[in-house]
Amino acid sequence: MNPTPVTPEEARRALEAADATARQMRRMLAHGGLPYFLWIWGTVWLLGFGATHFFGPHDPRTAWAWAILDTAGAVLSFAVGAWLSRRLRSPRGGALGLFWMAWLVYAALILYFARPLSEKQISLLIALFAMMGYVTSGLLYRSRWLVGLGLTVTVLIVLGYVAWPAGFDLWMAVLGGGSLLAAGTYIYYAWR
Amino acid sequence: MARFDSLIHQPVRLRLMAALHALAADEQVDFQTLRDLLDVTDGNLATHLRKLEEAGYVAVEKTFVGRRPRTYIALTPRGRQAFREHVQALQAILEQAATDDT
Repeated sequence: MNPTPVTPEEARRALEAADATARQMRRMLAHGGLPYFLWIWGTVWLLGFGATHFFGPHDPRTAWAWAILDTAGAVLSFAVGAWLSRRLRSPRGGALGLFWMAWLVYAALILYFARPLSEKQISLLIALFAMMGYVTSGLLYRSRWLVGLGLTVTVLIVLGYVAWPAGFDLWMAVLGGGSLLAAGTYIYYAWR
Repeated sequence: MARFDSLIHQPVRLRLMAALHALAADEQVDFQTLRDLLDVTDGNLATHLRKLEEAGYVAVEKTFVGRRPRTYIALTPRGRQAFREHVQALQAILEQAATDDT
């Protein structure tokens, strides 16, 4: 006998609603800001590598383009991170920001001490470092999506470098930057 | 132990409790995020939160971020326990129905 005024059908619907909301919450916390970061850095890659391809690696316009794009990307990422941290207060809230700061310092040190490197090698290493960051932060936050995206773009980067070195910058602009922009757009609309 | 809780069972409050239960015990979510997630109005959410707060199920903390007031919400240990027991009670109803059918 049912001791409550709830029928089995009502109980089933209530459990489904609770489960769906809990999943939605977990997904929002895990991926809520991901599209914004992918849009920011996809745009940086698209325009930066595009400038390298069309102006040439030694043109001052290319250097300016990268300086402005990287600075804008870092400032926007920081702003988005600060905005996201207001939604959820957690003792682990700053961990991801510290992770990327540590990543930036180590990447800069490795690039500095690995000199001399060609422009192509520098582009390759920066792109690979970025994807290493995606994969490791994905593992840290148990995001299969981020790990999958990082591995996919890594394969594209290596493929472009090995198979088409002359057009590597264009390849990175279109396929590297484009993949990040497309992934960000997909996540934004599919996971709302 | 399974215990049906009619306060939690109201549809919006059930989803509210489920959303908060998905957080870690030491995490708090802000009011706007919760409102958007549940797709309810400010007034509606505030009313349900008040009832749950009176029962000791949620803790509401009002603070300032810069000059802007912000409200953060978390499940209390008592609320976490009550939600788990309510879910168990719902599962028990389903299991009982399945047993009755066989």
